[in-house]
Amino acid sequence: MTVGRTGAPASYGVSELARLPKLGGLFAKGVAGSVGKRPKDAVRLPEVTYRVVGVDTTAEAAHLAAYLRLVGEPSSDVLPAGFLHVLAFPLATAVMVRGDFPLPLLGLVHLRNVARVLRPVRLGETLEVRAWAQDARAHRRGVQVDLVAEVLVDGDLAYRGVSTYLAKGFTAPDGAASADESPREEWAPPLPTARWKLGGGTGRAYGAVSGDQNPIHTSKLGARAFGFPRAIAHGMYVAARALAEVGPARRGETYEWTVEFFKPVLLPGTVDVSIRNVADVDPTGSAGGSGPASGYVYDGWRSGKNTRHFGGTVRPV
Amino acid sequence: MSTTPSPVPSTREAVIIGGNRIPFSRAGKKYVRTSNQDMFTAALEGLVARFGLQGERLGEVAGGAVLKHSKNFNLIRESVLGSSLSPATPAYDVQQACATGLEAAIAVTNKIKLGQIESAIAGGTDTVSDAPIVVSDRLRAALLDANHAKTTGAKIKALLPVLSHPKWLAPVSPSTGEPRTHLSMGEHQAITTAKWGITREDQDEVAYSSHQNLARAWESGFFDDLVTPYKGLTRDDNLRPDTSLEKLAKLKPVFGTSLEGAATMTAGNSTPLTDGASTVLFSSREWAEERDLPILAKFVDAETAAVDFVHGHEGLLMAPAAAVPRLLARNGLTLEDIDFFEIHEAFASTVLTTLAAWEDEEYCRTELGLDGAFGKIDRSKLNVNGSSLAAGHPFAATGGRIIATAAKLVAAKAAETGRPARALISVCAAGGLGAVAIVESA
Repeated sequence: MTVGRTGAPASYGVSELARLPKLGGLFAKGVAGSVGKRPKDAVRLPEVTYRVVGVDTTAEAAHLAAYLRLVGEPSSDVLPAGFLHVLAFPLATAVMVRGDFPLPLLGLVHLRNVARVLRPVRLGETLEVRAWAQDARAHRRGVQVDLVAEVLVDGDLAYRGVSTYLAKGFTAPDGAASADESPREEWAPPLPTARWKLGGGTGRAYGAVSGDQNPIHTSKLGARAFGFPRAIAHGMYVAARALAEVGPARRGETYEWTVEFFKPVLLPGTVDVSIRNVADVDPTGSAGGSGPASGYVYDGWRSGKNTRHFGGTVRPV
Repeated sequence: MSTTPSPVPSTREAVIIGGNRIPFSRAGKKYVRTSNQDMFTAALEGLVARFGLQGERLGEVAGGAVLKHSKNFNLIRESVLGSSLSPATPAYDVQQACATGLEAAIAVTNKIKLGQIESAIAGGTDTVSDAPIVVSDRLRAALLDANHAKTTGAKIKALLPVLSHPKWLAPVSPSTGEPRTHLSMGEHQAITTAKWGITREDQDEVAYSSHQNLARAWESGFFDDLVTPYKGLTRDDNLRPDTSLEKLAKLKPVFGTSLEGAATMTAGNSTPLTDGASTVLFSSREWAEERDLPILAKFVDAETAAVDFVHGHEGLLMAPAAAVPRLLARNGLTLEDIDFFEIHEAFASTVLTTLAAWEDEEYCRTELGLDGAFGKIDRSKLNVNGSSLAAGHPFAATGGRIIATAAKLVAAKAAETGRPARALISVCAAGGLGAVAIVESA
């Protein structure tokens, strides 16, 4: 994880955009562009940072309210990490639909997401948003790459999100590190603390507030085209609900929010969820290792089954 | 948690004169199309008749309903106005989920103890059969927008989305699901049950005893001066005197079926959805003596508690496990000082997980801040005249049912033995809440 570092690698150039692009047009371009992007040579990422300054959030009030209501955040003028992800997503997508971005937008699998809020971002503040791709590295099924998005307020880094995607069948560049793939440990569901009944329209509803209208989330036909029997929930939607569940009072003003995706959630579907304080998961702190020292850990799985959908952490920073 | 409790301040006593309720009825049966106000007024009128309170101006009447329509904003006051109490009797609504009735009693007895009032009625009512149905949030938003719009055009525009979304018109029934976890109360208790390893057999045993005890109490006439027949019903119609452990063992589990391990909670060892209302009359000792009214017991003290259940630290219905040790410590009592344990049977396993917690040394040390296990209770003192599994559980009405039963039990025991008798009342509630109280022979 490269969360601690800020800014793009030193070799990257900066390309200024006048405003944040619209996702609709980018998707069209991404779909068209995906056709030509096939595994050939080793993957080389474009060394460019997209940057938009002067993003005025005043106009986002209604959008924010709709987002907060959908994911279950209390009404607020503070933009939660999930909303900042949504805000910066078009810019990251713009990087991914560039002709020289070697991986096809269609078929990229979102493996995990690590986001940090380093200072609260409020409605009405003017933002600088940056996005770039970095760290193409080998994955046993292809190549994985990080799309990094940063949000700055008054020149200070307020948010940094790292979305890791997998492109199956592609090859990592020579000398690239291998992805950290510790073998998946056996997993058994804990006792649930909540149950989410996700209706058939869940993907369309999150698509409407996030702009991510990828057909695998919004229609059965679209999902079938990619081998899923039904539409699947947006990963960032379930992760955002978990973040909302922990809530502003417990995660604090600055926090880290991580999620790892396993099997997708088919819609409609019932997800059993466990969102627990770290102290309750590991009261003695004896487990050590990778677990966070404080905050919350969450897991989601198919109700009544051992099918794990997602897992992550929310912890104050 | 481990701080020394402050002693109970010295006040005058609040006494229990008696109670009255209507028979509890399973949802969708006798009390269909009977409102909360109808039922509470009926329970109130029965109490008024029993103690000759016609035209009397009481200190106040407090109570509530858990499932309540917004039009019933003054449910208890409206019930008072429909009763033969003096219209000069003030009233107010209380809502603390299933602890509503007991919390109302705590509130009015505190006023009596402080000398602010001389007499009061506390109670509660709930109907599932006549529960409010609400519209979906989206339809509600559209209707509110239309309502706030200034022009006809704007009103129509606000309503247009409804036309293209017929699903928004579907009504929403009330649910007992926890708002934060979306798990039903039964599912929550199934998790607690699994955590404590409570067996199906133990739960069925509690359910069986509840029916046996309640049936015996009805047969012996215990409820003759506690219940007024209503709408053709003379007894709680959930009562199954002929149920057996074999019959209970045949029922299919309904909660916890998606958890690992065998599910244990059935319709037999869980309370059914029920309609009903209950009331209890309290006063100062002087007020009762002046009117030559019986004094059954004293409402000694009470404690409420809450637990952190949202993230699974504690079970949803475990708050009484924390409240009781605090209450007894403050009153210088131990479990051995209690003659009757009235532990509300939301589910048989609620009673059993509470008892298991009190017997668990580790739990009592880490969660309750005690030096060791709180103790084991003598099961022959538990819910001796039945509880909610047999009687049913109209949420806000349960507190009143239990207080009146406890008051009669301690009065009879004291009369029989010549020594003071005490009952401990414990009611768990949604939201991780719990209310507990001590009732002592007068």
